[in-house]
Amino acid sequence: MYVDGANLNALVAVAQPGKFGADVSHLNLHKTFCIPHGGGGPGVGPVAVRSHLAPFLPGHPLAHHDDSTVGAVSAAPFGSAGILAIPWVYISMMGPDGLLAATGDAILSANYVARRLRDVYPTLYSGPSGTVAHECILDIRGITKDTGVSVDDIAKRLMDFCFHAPTMSFPVTGTLMVEPTESESLAEVNRFIEAMLQIGVEIDSVRQGKVDIEDSPLRHAPHTVEDVVSSNWARPYSRETALFPTPLLRTRSFYPAVSRIDAVFGDRNLVCNCAPIEEYAMSLESITLS
Amino acid sequence: MPHVFDREQFLDRHLGLSSDDRAEMLRVIERDSIDDLLSATIPEQIRLRASLALGSAVPEAEVLSMLRDKFNNDVVRRNYIGQGYYGTITPPVIKRNVLENPAWYTAYTPYQPEISQGRLEAILNFQTMIAELTGLALANASLLDEATAVAEAVTMARRVSKNPSNIVLVEKDIHPQTLNVLRTRTEPVGIEIILGGLDDFTDVDAFALVVSWPASSGALASPQSVAASVAHHRSRGVITIASTDLLACAQIIPPGQLGFDVAVGSAQRFGVPMGFGGPHAAFMAVATEHARSLPGRLVGVSTDTAGRPALRLSLQTREQHIRREKATSNICTAQVLLANIAGFYGAWHGPTGLQAIARRVHALASAFASLAASKNLSLVSTDFFDTVALQTPDAQGLVSQARQHGCNIRQIDERTVSASFDETMTAQDVVTLLLAIGVNATLQDVNNSARADQNASLVRTDQFMSQSVFGRYHTEHEMLRYVRRLSDKDLALDRTMIPLGSCTMKLNSTTEMEPITWSLLADLHPYVPADESVGYRSLITDLETMLCAITGYDAVSLQPNAGSQGEFAGLLAIRAYHRSRGDINRTICLIPSSAHGTNAASAVMAGMGVVVIACDESGNVDVQDLREKADAAGERLAALMVTYPSTHGVFETAISEICEIIHQRGGQVYVDGANLNALVAVAQPGKFGADVSHLNLHKTFCIPHGGGGPGVGPVAVRSHLAPFLPGHPLAHHDDSTVGAVSAAPFGSAGILAIPWVYISMMGPDGLLAATGDAILSANYVARRLVFLKLPSVRSVRLFINAVVRCM
Repeated sequence: MYVDGANLNALVAVAQPGKFGADVSHLNLHKTFCIPHGGGGPGVGPVAVRSHLAPFLPGHPLAHHDDSTVGAVSAAPFGSAGILAIPWVYISMMGPDGLLAATGDAILSANYVARRLRDVYPTLYSGPSGTVAHECILDIRGITKDTGVSVDDIAKRLMDFCFHAPTMSFPVTGTLMVEPTESESLAEVNRFIEAMLQIGVEIDSVRQGKVDIEDSPLRHAPHTVEDVVSSNWARPYSRETALFPTPLLRTRSFYPAVSRIDAVFGDRNLVCNCAPIEEYAMSLESITLS
Repeated sequence: MPHVFDREQFLDRHLGLSSDDRAEMLRVIERDSIDDLLSATIPEQIRLRASLALGSAVPEAEVLSMLRDKFNNDVVRRNYIGQGYYGTITPPVIKRNVLENPAWYTAYTPYQPEISQGRLEAILNFQTMIAELTGLALANASLLDEATAVAEAVTMARRVSKNPSNIVLVEKDIHPQTLNVLRTRTEPVGIEIILGGLDDFTDVDAFALVVSWPASSGALASPQSVAASVAHHRSRGVITIASTDLLACAQIIPPGQLGFDVAVGSAQRFGVPMGFGGPHAAFMAVATEHARSLPGRLVGVSTDTAGRPALRLSLQTREQHIRREKATSNICTAQVLLANIAGFYGAWHGPTGLQAIARRVHALASAFASLAASKNLSLVSTDFFDTVALQTPDAQGLVSQARQHGCNIRQIDERTVSASFDETMTAQDVVTLLLAIGVNATLQDVNNSARADQNASLVRTDQFMSQSVFGRYHTEHEMLRYVRRLSDKDLALDRTMIPLGSCTMKLNSTTEMEPITWSLLADLHPYVPADESVGYRSLITDLETMLCAITGYDAVSLQPNAGSQGEFAGLLAIRAYHRSRGDINRTICLIPSSAHGTNAASAVMAGMGVVVIACDESGNVDVQDLREKADAAGERLAALMVTYPSTHGVFETAISEICEIIHQRGGQVYVDGANLNALVAVAQPGKFGADVSHLNLHKTFCIPHGGGGPGVGPVAVRSHLAPFLPGHPLAHHDDSTVGAVSAAPFGSAGILAIPWVYISMMGPDGLLAATGDAILSANYVARRLVFLKLPSVRSVRLFINAVVRCM
């Protein structure tokens, strides 16, 4: 029995795959154990087994003792050894009580988000007592069916609130999966909830026919400064709505560099190298400050 | 020809120009070569034609191991010295995202507040924290060290006190370095210090009273009697000044609540590493009625054109660039980067966290006190915060015994020692120290003897730091984002060039910056025995030698913590030199009208009178006026202070003649080295006629500006002035006849690795190339812009002059 340990953050100090029936799991040290994501790596994915599988863990020809009957899966005997200090330091500093507290807060935050949002965004799955684990899946399919507002629209509009989008359409198409983790303050979690509720208001406007989805800030999100200050602004919503959907955002310092990207165009016209120098040539006068 | 094994040279990373760029720029300014440009720009009579006597350039990839090797032989001991410097834990999120972040360390002083709102907010937090902890109305941000802060407070008191006396009363249990700097600062301006106990002062007429709270020995007097004494003196027009400890203020009644007008001290133990003496942010907090007399920088709230709240530096009209010799202080560079670190430390821990640290530290000290006290070792005071003083028949013997066991304690006098505790220490450190002084104790004993709370009469009971900033950022994500949010509001060198004339905003390279947070350099107490500072002293000796080789002077002191302090030290050297020859009336200092305002303020501090020399429309000294005023000064002529190249960015051709006029009349020539970037490897003030200069290592030698400090302002002199460089009571060799200008013997030693690494990586040829490119770029800018429509013929002429002789 193989238990995928990607969601171990909900289990640490409250349940053990090695005891509840699984024979083997991999863990993601770059999730549960604090190795940063690095913009898409590195990660460390150790494999943990019960004793009967121990002889079959990966071996390595250059390890000091290699009695494994299975070959190596990495070039180095201990894989990405250079970053193993990160989880070591984390676990050392947390201790058993700290790890339990972290799991508790991760599950609390996820349930808080699910509860605060459920009137606008129903939670797709919950356990028998109505709770979720360390993350919650918000079901957007009803909204899309009623209004045409897609998970994409919501995800991109969140960028105008200076948020990164939740996981989109995984594991279920038409949903958003939110994992607040134990490390966010209530202020930050509330800021997220309020952004989602504000987006809910914008969805309502579409639902009630006040705004056509194609003209809505949702469909045009995210907004760049260049678009919004353009003299040709002709959208039915205000520039303030575009850039400052809540008053607190008036002091924001982050703005997306580009607006919604055409993925299909890029696939049809494949360019995967920096442009040659000639394409960067411009006149001295046209150079502006970054 | 380069060899295949040669490493890449740092010079190519430091210089912004490629050889193609250089050729194009030379074409625009119509010069054949850099050498042709230098010949046209620098008067031939001062031009250096030899190569600088420096070692050849060390590759960037090798320089740090060379530096580290210097520290290999340092003995390491546990340090309980205290005396104003304490171990501290820089919260890692602050260390990496502020101290090691170019968005913070490469910013300039926030004179342009619209693009400085981030660090202005951080500074405002610091001011608020200081005011709250000291129990006073408002605080500045910031001063250079605790000792100069006391001196600034005393000179402020002289300005505001209605008592006409020239006497300052100083309670004698004060840090010796503070007293030394205070003597250096007060003597030239005719202020007399009377040292004694509070009881001795009752009937003495004075304008100021200085009390250490807690005292240097750690003792805490009865708050009621201190408050009574303060009230008594205040009623006689005396300005009452407390020198205090910020962490103690989290636990004991703070100076403001004892009635003091002013509190000063160091914020070092709030997350700023000791760095063998600095840099650290000192502070001054005052009661409301003294707000407008407060020296140094002060951030305040205003509004922008749309009515939004906006921060900026307040009350700039007090400062020396406007008020010159009537300024409230000569302080220009502050310690902004360190003040910001301390402010973030306060936000990170909040009032409750600070109280917990204070309790922990006091508990360690109390456990030590109760276990150490015996018939041979008696407690000097039963009330203390973090420092426990012990009477012993043989203080020196006990210090050596502790040292042999790997512990440094402080010797106060022949019969008194003290030990200080800080947040880096554990119960085990108490056991270790007890064993080192011959007391057997176990961890269990220490745990049982610890008492975290103060006596009821001493304990602080009010709420402090209740502002939201001190309650919001206690988790790492919140702090990380707060620091980022603030720095996003600011423009620093990580986003753009900063074309500030006379500020030399050149590259502060990563390799130059790296060593300052090495534990080897960061965690050393300034008063450790010599065998623990072998590396530092080797680094310092190297740097002194390098700076002599560059400037042509014979001796350098690295003690001054900023250019203003270097100026003051230079003028003190001139004053002491004249006095050593019996010329006690030589007190007139000539200063051109184009000079930086700090010059005039420094001259006044050194007890000199300022006479202003006219300048022509290009900013050159009017030689005729100089000659007349020097003649008029006659036997009273002390010095001329002149900036070279001038503050107008021009190499004056008359510089040699100017020096000669002064020398012929018995005066000394002070050349302000603020503009040394135009001189390095092409001319040497120590050879072309000057007697003394200060340099700004935070300009020419790559120490970053830190958003308004730290700086280092060494003073360099010719041999006849060398005996008059600043001394220090705690230096291992002190034969100077002039006192200290900084609390630490080597000032801001913690950042001296930056210029050392820079000069080592550049080598003599690289430094010459840098000067050439700096002059080339200035001339290129001037030439490109001269074709713009200018408002008057005069401006055009000025620009053309600039093109020919631009620094």
